[in-house]
Amino acid sequence: MSKSLLISVFAGGLILILLSSVFIIDERQKGLVLQFGQIKAVKEDPGLAFKIPFIQEIVRYDDRILSLDTVPTEVTPSDDRRLVVDAFARYRILDVVQFRQAVGVGGLRTAEDRLESILNPVIREVLGSEGVTSNTILSADRAELMSRITEQARRKALPLGLEVIDVRLKQTNLPEQNLDATFSRMRAERDREAADEIARGKEAAQRLRAQADRTVVELVSEATKQSEIVRGEADAQRNAIFAKAYGVDPEFFEFYRSINAYGTALSGDSTTMVVRPDSEFFNYLKSDSGS
Amino acid sequence: MAGNNGGGPWGGSDNSDDGQKTNEPVGSGVGGQKIPEIEDIVKKGQEQLRVLMGGKSGKTGGSGGQNGSGGISKGSLGLVALGAVALWLFTSLYSVKPEEQSVELFLGEFSSIGNPGLNFAPWPFVSKEVIPVTREQTEDIGLGGRGDSGLMLTTDENIVDIDFQVVWNINDPAKFLFNLAEPRSTIRAVSESAMREVIARSELAPILNRDRQIIADTAQLLIQETMNEYDSGVNIVRLNLDKADPPLEVIDSFREVQAAEQERDKLERQADAYAYTVLAGARGQASMLLEQAEGYRAMVVNGAEGEASRFSAVLAEYTKAPEVTRKRLYIEAMEGIYGSMNKIIVDDTGGGGASNIVPYLPLNELMNKSNNKSGESN
Repeated sequence: MSKSLLISVFAGGLILILLSSVFIIDERQKGLVLQFGQIKAVKEDPGLAFKIPFIQEIVRYDDRILSLDTVPTEVTPSDDRRLVVDAFARYRILDVVQFRQAVGVGGLRTAEDRLESILNPVIREVLGSEGVTSNTILSADRAELMSRITEQARRKALPLGLEVIDVRLKQTNLPEQNLDATFSRMRAERDREAADEIARGKEAAQRLRAQADRTVVELVSEATKQSEIVRGEADAQRNAIFAKAYGVDPEFFEFYRSINAYGTALSGDSTTMVVRPDSEFFNYLKSDSGS
Repeated sequence: MAGNNGGGPWGGSDNSDDGQKTNEPVGSGVGGQKIPEIEDIVKKGQEQLRVLMGGKSGKTGGSGGQNGSGGISKGSLGLVALGAVALWLFTSLYSVKPEEQSVELFLGEFSSIGNPGLNFAPWPFVSKEVIPVTREQTEDIGLGGRGDSGLMLTTDENIVDIDFQVVWNINDPAKFLFNLAEPRSTIRAVSESAMREVIARSELAPILNRDRQIIADTAQLLIQETMNEYDSGVNIVRLNLDKADPPLEVIDSFREVQAAEQERDKLERQADAYAYTVLAGARGQASMLLEQAEGYRAMVVNGAEGEASRFSAVLAEYTKAPEVTRKRLYIEAMEGIYGSMNKIIVDDTGGGGASNIVPYLPLNELMNKSNNKSGESN
């Protein structure tokens, strides 16, 4: 009885020892075997592995891509315009031994602090370097700047056992105090555009009106010209008609036209004529024989 | 951050293994033939349990049980074993929904992808993660929150307010699971970065007007490229550019520009209207002038022809009897002339001629008289 108890206790202890000498590293992890704080082995591939029970312990680290967002910082590109920039880094633990030695028991939290203190100066340095203006940052060259930041950060983070995969800029904004200025500039630009629109509208309107007026004058004067031509032709025709008709007997025409003209010219009450009754008309005024 | 979190299921199982792994040989033992051994082990287990629970008194009770009830314990043993198997099956079998896939890990190492349906992951050697693969997940970016106001700087240093939505799903669950510690926040950050990069390359005006689709496409491509670089197994389905507007602070000015554009249009239309009006008037006037001229031509020519034919007619008569006609015409004309005018007939044939008398005639008076008669003053 006590024998079986002994056996069961022994078996339990054996199982306990067996279990504590076996460990599993997940696909997403890397493991470090520590013996009293000293690194004894590195377990990078997933699967089952063994350790000495009780005296060795396992520290697991994430083998996936980790992320870090930096706090927004102001950078000054070489044209002295300030920009608020934040970035995010994707990194993974490359060398667990180096990582452990660099960050100690603080683990990822310490690593993040260290990485951020690497990233911020690098960002500031790259974005503040010679030839980099705010226009460069706000252009297609941004990608190139990001890869420069990544490259430098990668180099500096290697001693931490970290591989920086990618650093990307997120916001590149104007500082709060510059926003108002930018907004008022944008407003001014819009106002200019609006004024321009209206001015152009007026210009076009004026031009259209002037063109219309001009066309009016052209049309009317052309018509006047045509009408004068027509009138001239009419007059010429009239003359021709008269000449033809009157040319038959000019002497009679003169007589005929004259007496007609006297009729129209001397008509009315406004004419007073002092005449001597010796004209042909009055031949019979004084006697019936004529004189 | 999630340093040891990722190992959650395994970190936890390290401890529970002690208790449960003892069951594991039991299960496999049932499959085999060594029933007495199981009996022993179970008995020992019961004893241990009693020791644990009841201390020393349990020991005596346990020995009594062992003596007295061998058969009963055999039956209950089967039940326990059956329950253990059922429990094991229950933990090992799992279902995968149509939109999901599962990733199975054998002792922590990636072994296979489980498709929709019932799947078997023999515990504790195989662990599994079920992931929604085809289901579209969305990330809204630029709607505020976490200092993310959606205000972005364009290459001409204007500010534009961008809201967009990234729709994504998973095309490789294993990569998705093993490569990204924080997939959602990574997608958010990558999307924001990509959009800001695209916006930083373009000018304000095209963003607001015509280039929206181009921007959405470029950003989507950029996000996808970056996610591929991370080997993340994430597929960007589409990118909806919900909003690309000027910031609130300046939107009024933008509206004013639109109003100004309308105003410009209006002015031009009005001028057009004026032009149409006056041009039509001018065309009318031109036609009028031409018609008047034609009318004048008709009038003059007709008049002339009439007059000419009248003359010709008179002339024809005249040539027949020139003397008489001439006289008659003359007398008729004179009749008309003298008949209607004021006349003073002075017969000076006896004296020194009219030239002697005329100076003494009260011409002014005569003129006035005649003027008054016609109703004119002066």
